[in-house]
Amino acid sequence: MDESSPTPTTPPEEEAPDAGTIDRRGFLHKVSTVSAGITALAVGIPAAAAFVSPALPQKPLDDWIKVADDVALLDVGEPVRVNFVKTDQDAWIETRTLNSVWLFTEDGEKFKAYNAKCTHLGCSYVHDKEKKAFFCPCHRGQFDIKTGKVLDGPPPRGLDELQVEIRDSAVYVKYRDFRLGIAEQVVA
Amino acid sequence: MPTPFKWLDERVDLVGVRRALLDRKMPGGLTWWHTLGSATLTVFAVQVVTGIILAMYYSPSPDHAYDSIRYLQDQVVSGSVLRGIHHWGASAMVVLVVAHMIRVFVMGAYKYPREINWLLGVVLLFIVLGFGFTGYLLPWDQKAYWATQVGTNIAGTTPLIGGVLVKLLRGGSQLGAATLARFFALHVLLLPFMLFIVVLMHLAIVVRQGIAPRTKALEEDAPVHTSDAAYPAFYKKAYDRSKGAGVPFWPDITTKDVVVGAVIVLLLLQLARSFGAGLEPPADPTDSTYVPRPEWYFLPFFQLLKLVPGSMESAVAVGIPTVLVALMLLLPFFDRKSTRSFRKRPVARVALMVLGGSCVLLIGASMSEDSAAAVTPETGRPLTSVQRAGRALYAAQGCGSCHAIGGKGGGSKEDAPPLTEIGLKHSGAWIHSFLENPLRFHAQTKMPSFGPPTLSHQEIEEMTRYLVTLRGPNGDLRKPEFVDTFPEPPKTKEK
Repeated sequence: MDESSPTPTTPPEEEAPDAGTIDRRGFLHKVSTVSAGITALAVGIPAAAAFVSPALPQKPLDDWIKVADDVALLDVGEPVRVNFVKTDQDAWIETRTLNSVWLFTEDGEKFKAYNAKCTHLGCSYVHDKEKKAFFCPCHRGQFDIKTGKVLDGPPPRGLDELQVEIRDSAVYVKYRDFRLGIAEQVVA
Repeated sequence: MPTPFKWLDERVDLVGVRRALLDRKMPGGLTWWHTLGSATLTVFAVQVVTGIILAMYYSPSPDHAYDSIRYLQDQVVSGSVLRGIHHWGASAMVVLVVAHMIRVFVMGAYKYPREINWLLGVVLLFIVLGFGFTGYLLPWDQKAYWATQVGTNIAGTTPLIGGVLVKLLRGGSQLGAATLARFFALHVLLLPFMLFIVVLMHLAIVVRQGIAPRTKALEEDAPVHTSDAAYPAFYKKAYDRSKGAGVPFWPDITTKDVVVGAVIVLLLLQLARSFGAGLEPPADPTDSTYVPRPEWYFLPFFQLLKLVPGSMESAVAVGIPTVLVALMLLLPFFDRKSTRSFRKRPVARVALMVLGGSCVLLIGASMSEDSAAAVTPETGRPLTSVQRAGRALYAAQGCGSCHAIGGKGGGSKEDAPPLTEIGLKHSGAWIHSFLENPLRFHAQTKMPSFGPPTLSHQEIEEMTRYLVTLRGPNGDLRKPEFVDTFPEPPKTKEK
């Protein structure tokens, strides 16, 4: 510092002391501002990104669940009940639930999958081989195996059909639970 | 219509604040070393910002802590960078605090009238180390669990109160859920609060007293001791003189501070991006083979405990830190010579060299032991460079895909013998000639020949030197019983 500011007691507002001092102070101001900006951005950007991370577009979850390793293992014309473990992810907490679907195929090519809960009150229905229908032992509801439609009893709607996909001859379903006891199909 | 600045100034005296904080004159000639304190403050701010975000993705329970860190690393945008900055920032805090203390020590700035600020500085050092110790446990991985196991056990060796102390630290007799919750609360609630308060006091005193000028300004015609009656008056005069010739705090002094802060933060960002923070497998209390390591800045102490016999352990583990803390706290009260220049303080020079030197030596010893051990996990023995070269060849040639060492490797060919104790069964000469041409030994062997051109004789010898070190657990205590049978030499070589 070759020159001190003219009046030390009053801080220089806008009026100029002399050119050299101004240049130096202006330069120091700029260096400070840029450096402070770098500091703020270097930490601020990752911090802000992590903070807003949950609101950013997420890549869609692959929630297809493999329920059978090979289509050849399924009987044609005969429904089969498959139990599987479904893993639900709540941030870092994983919950595993045991779920079931009924799989049915008439030709070994096209597959139907039904949620294994009766649409009436959620009991597990069974395959009644004599009646050739699904039968719910709780309140005697009956469903058609081929279409899932209600044949008899109190169920308010047909069985909940699930999307099915065959990949490399393994059977995948998109498992969903629906609200029970009502006529419309609403995801629970 | 007044400008917003004028309007506010009329009410809260902004100009007055600016004059008091930013325009105040400081002694000139401050060095880059004088930026260490503000650099520490900058990194602390970084730790606060990154820590707040990390806490949003953390669950302080043994069931979920590790998974939540994994989630942060894998699922949160820039989560691993953020954790990396926080991790390296912790080391930077320790480095900067210690460097700042050394600067103050070397320049004699803890002397009159800054004794209180030195004391507050010592308190800050231990708060920062407390952050390091509590933060280390939070990821709940192997490193975290076992280092804290050892750390709390050291506290347990304290005479008389050891048992109580361990329970206090762990929140119970075992390291577990209560410990993690406790460390988390200390790390994010108590310690930040304490640090904030003490830093405020530390800074308020710096503003009030002004920064210490260059040592020369306070040495000319100074009374011999700072405790002399004439010293305060002398000090005031000398300080005002050097301040009068000084520069305003803003922007002349602060620019250096801000620049250094930016450089350090960029360095942290780079370290975070290149190395991250590391995460070992989840804590496994049943794994007795894990060798715990504390964070590097606790290594001098950790290594020291290896050097003392067991009967001395509690004296060293508790005694040495206690003595060091007492010395640091009392320093400004027993050192009352008014001499500030480091060149004229031989005792201070020797003390710093001994303390600094022994810390460096202990860290070095600990790290070299670790890296030597890391080379031979299968035998626990350090290897020479030739043996290491042989080990690299062993890996490069894929020997491990057929042969197992200490249960690792092998499998694809079931009749390949494990080599865990090969050094006890065969001499180097036998191994060398076998590697060269196994068919000479067993006509049916599936072992490929490694003689030239596959490997040179030099390389075969390197691999041999490595293989003879394989003696199994405690192999150094066992006598080799060689079962070398050499085949009949080929006829052409007969005389």
